[in-house]
Amino acid sequence: MIDLDHVIKRFGQRLAVDDLTLTVPAGEIFGLLGHNGAGKSTSIGMMLGQVWPTAGTVKVCGHEVTTRRQLALQKVGAIFEAPAFYDDLTGWRNLEILSHFTGPTSPERLREVVDWVGLSGRERTKVRTYSHGMRARLALAQALLPKPELLILDEPGSGLDPEGIAEMRQTILRLRQELGLTILLSSHLLNEVEQLCTKIAVLNRGRKVFEGALAETKRRHQSVRLVVDRFDLAAARLRQAALIQDERAGRFVTLAPGVRTDRIVEFLVGQGIRVFEIAPEEETLEGFYLTLMHGPPAGEVHRPASDTARLAPASTQA
Amino acid sequence: MFRLQLRNELWKLFGKKRTYIGFGAFLVAQVIIVLVFRYSRASHGMVDQLERNGYPAQQFVSSLTIATVMLFPIAYVLLPLYVALVGGDLVAKEAEDGTLRMILSRPISRLRLLLVKWVAGLIFATLLVFALGLIGLGFASLFFPWGGLFAFVPGELFSVLDPAAGLKHYLAAHVLLTVKAGTILGLAFMFSCFNVKPAAATILALSVTFVSFVLMQIPFFKDLQHWFFTYHLNVWQNLLASPVPGAKVCMSLSVLAGFNLTFLVIGCTAFQVRDIKS
Repeated sequence: MIDLDHVIKRFGQRLAVDDLTLTVPAGEIFGLLGHNGAGKSTSIGMMLGQVWPTAGTVKVCGHEVTTRRQLALQKVGAIFEAPAFYDDLTGWRNLEILSHFTGPTSPERLREVVDWVGLSGRERTKVRTYSHGMRARLALAQALLPKPELLILDEPGSGLDPEGIAEMRQTILRLRQELGLTILLSSHLLNEVEQLCTKIAVLNRGRKVFEGALAETKRRHQSVRLVVDRFDLAAARLRQAALIQDERAGRFVTLAPGVRTDRIVEFLVGQGIRVFEIAPEEETLEGFYLTLMHGPPAGEVHRPASDTARLAPASTQA
Repeated sequence: MFRLQLRNELWKLFGKKRTYIGFGAFLVAQVIIVLVFRYSRASHGMVDQLERNGYPAQQFVSSLTIATVMLFPIAYVLLPLYVALVGGDLVAKEAEDGTLRMILSRPISRLRLLLVKWVAGLIFATLLVFALGLIGLGFASLFFPWGGLFAFVPGELFSVLDPAAGLKHYLAAHVLLTVKAGTILGLAFMFSCFNVKPAAATILALSVTFVSFVLMQIPFFKDLQHWFFTYHLNVWQNLLASPVPGAKVCMSLSVLAGFNLTFLVIGCTAFQVRDIKS
């Protein structure tokens, strides 16, 4: 649905996006993660033909955005952080104005979308009277009007209260289930991404440092907490026996593929090392993200092992 | 679709309170000028001028003449200000507010978007000019009798017309005044297409206009006056003369058409190549 191929974007001397190759397959809820200034919004801008790439190609719905923007965006809806509207006009008028930039839109279609997003009864009042949540619904309505196949959400939860965030999450799930949309979600809310997305890409200083299924972020770091009387010795012996891939923080080990905890216990007991506790530790997206951004916490040794996830080193370029 | 998009653009334009500032300011200025002429000795100079040239002053100190007298300061000072204000807003305000990003997530070409906005701006300029003319004439009619038109600009224009011809010339002058309004709006619109704040676009347009006006007054540039767009902006004054200097009007209109096209092309090019970011 979206294909970025070796895309570079410079703003003057500043490299905002560095050799980004990214694929968002149809039917996915794809998360785009990264710190402020990582290049997420610039990448989205390039997908929507708002920002011109310095090099590389950007394709949306099979059409190159730089040369065939109108075709590429025909079935695309987008919502931005802090959606902006014409505050002196009604919600209905705003929807009419924005939808006519795509094509003629019937009042019936407008009504249908207003009902779907739950704005019925308030569509004829001026947008200046809308709450943040209502503006978010209006933003969703304008994005849905052209019957999109792809929805691009740039920080849609920004500024929402916890109830608003929960509502947004449900709405995104509804969009996929009821309308079958492909969704690209750029967000800082890792918890939301973890609950919603099937695939993610992580940007750091303009470079992609990870792209893969969300499950990969857990599997890669699936480790166990191991409490023994002599951890260093135990870890050395386990490594020697190729039962683990790495150890961290004096109490965590990452098991080698195919190795289960009972084998570890059996091995350590056989080595005369007393085992007090062994339990699986599931990596959170936050932990995974922070490790990607800053490297393992001090004292930890972390050796990436995944062969399925595509992992690139973080750039040192600003 | 262009018609629908233009209608939407007009909704947006006339949905903003600041769009009406110009109309309000014109009304206030016209009220003041009419009252000053009615209740002070301001019209005496005009009477002397007419009588010295052998015209019966009473026939020409009329609503049509007062409306024309009002036209000059407003056309020179207020009109550029308010069309530049709206022209500077057309693109830059949308970029500042974030609505431009919403629009450009839609499959509309940037060129088409600009053309819609530019045409909407021209419609605003036309409405503003004709509101200025009609309200001015209506308000002057409340205090002065209907009569002939007398227009006088030292060294440039001395025109005395009967009421019917005067009205025709008065309306024709407004048609060409829309060209002046449209040109300054086009200049502000051009700056608005760059990555600048709306106020900056307005100030830049006014600055260019005033600097051009000042430069062409300098004796050194006297022979080159016709190269300045501000020289041609006052083409509307020629329509108050009898007979109308057709060749001069056509030349000015051609030059202004060239300037307008240049402003539009520069604006469109700047807008086409720029990145639209939040």
